[in-house]
Amino acid sequence: MPKWFTPVAFICGTMLAVSPLVIANADYESTMGLVQKIFYYHMPSAWIFLTASIVCGVASIRYLMTGDPRHDRTALAAGELVVVFGLLTLVTGPLWARKAWGTFWIWDARTTSSLVSWMIACAYLILRRYGGPGSEKLAAALALFGMANVPFIYISVNYWRTIHPATSVVPKLPFTMGFPLWFCVITFALVFIVLLKLRVRVEEQQARLDGLYLSLDER
Amino acid sequence: MMKTLKRWCAVLAVVFVSAVVSVPAQQPSPQSPPTSPASQPSQQNEFIPIDQLPPQEQLAAAPLLIGAYVFVLAVLFLYVLSVARRLTNVQRDLDRLDTTIKQGGRA
Repeated sequence: MPKWFTPVAFICGTMLAVSPLVIANADYESTMGLVQKIFYYHMPSAWIFLTASIVCGVASIRYLMTGDPRHDRTALAAGELVVVFGLLTLVTGPLWARKAWGTFWIWDARTTSSLVSWMIACAYLILRRYGGPGSEKLAAALALFGMANVPFIYISVNYWRTIHPATSVVPKLPFTMGFPLWFCVITFALVFIVLLKLRVRVEEQQARLDGLYLSLDER
Repeated sequence: MMKTLKRWCAVLAVVFVSAVVSVPAQQPSPQSPPTSPASQPSQQNEFIPIDQLPPQEQLAAAPLLIGAYVFVLAVLFLYVLSVARRLTNVQRDLDRLDTTIKQGGRA
């Protein structure tokens, strides 16, 4: 593991542990009250969900262009994190919506496109696991669809009628709500980096192991 | 591989059954007596802030909030455990194979 890994993992663990205290001190939103505080975990999860989709897509493009297995390993690790952070987004959102909107789920552009993106990531992982030899390139092409969906998810609230807040809300937040939000965004970003590195490490060691088995067979 | 597939099928079956069981529980009972128009609440056609709703229409926020936070932390914790377990297994296999290759080289 690189030298930066242990300090970054320690910092991100501490920030994650402290984050509920930071959120508890944030101001209450006037109409939604306590339940609005789900926002501080929901939105960073959603941003990392989209970031992981982009990382997976870019690594897949590089793998398709160069054939370098390092990019393939990064894409696989990021694909798994798309599913994890997508799940967090798709569960915390409805819990907030149940109180704020009166329903767990509405089929608006953002929720539907987020669900589609998450299902593409699930399909990517299933293809990688059960697709057999040569499925890497097919899965890489699937990852491109997941990445292409990201801008659509982000701007959908500005172009379609929805009760999701528009993208202009975050820059207008007062400091007492903005600070906990950015604290959680940095925390989730560090969690993503640490988990991505760990997951890539698993794939690297697995590739080394496969190489050793092959060399044994050739003897 | 089949074992993992069977495990995933079992998880999906549990999720599906729990979803099917919970849906009828949320629907209103068909035997409930019909209410007269006079006893029905007046049509709501304007925005009412959530804190001004009558108590019977208010939903407790704390269980939803705590549920969301516990879910996020639990999923992240379980994922870290899963990755750590996979890394430990691969590392152990690698060490064992390294030792086998070295011993084979000496022989």
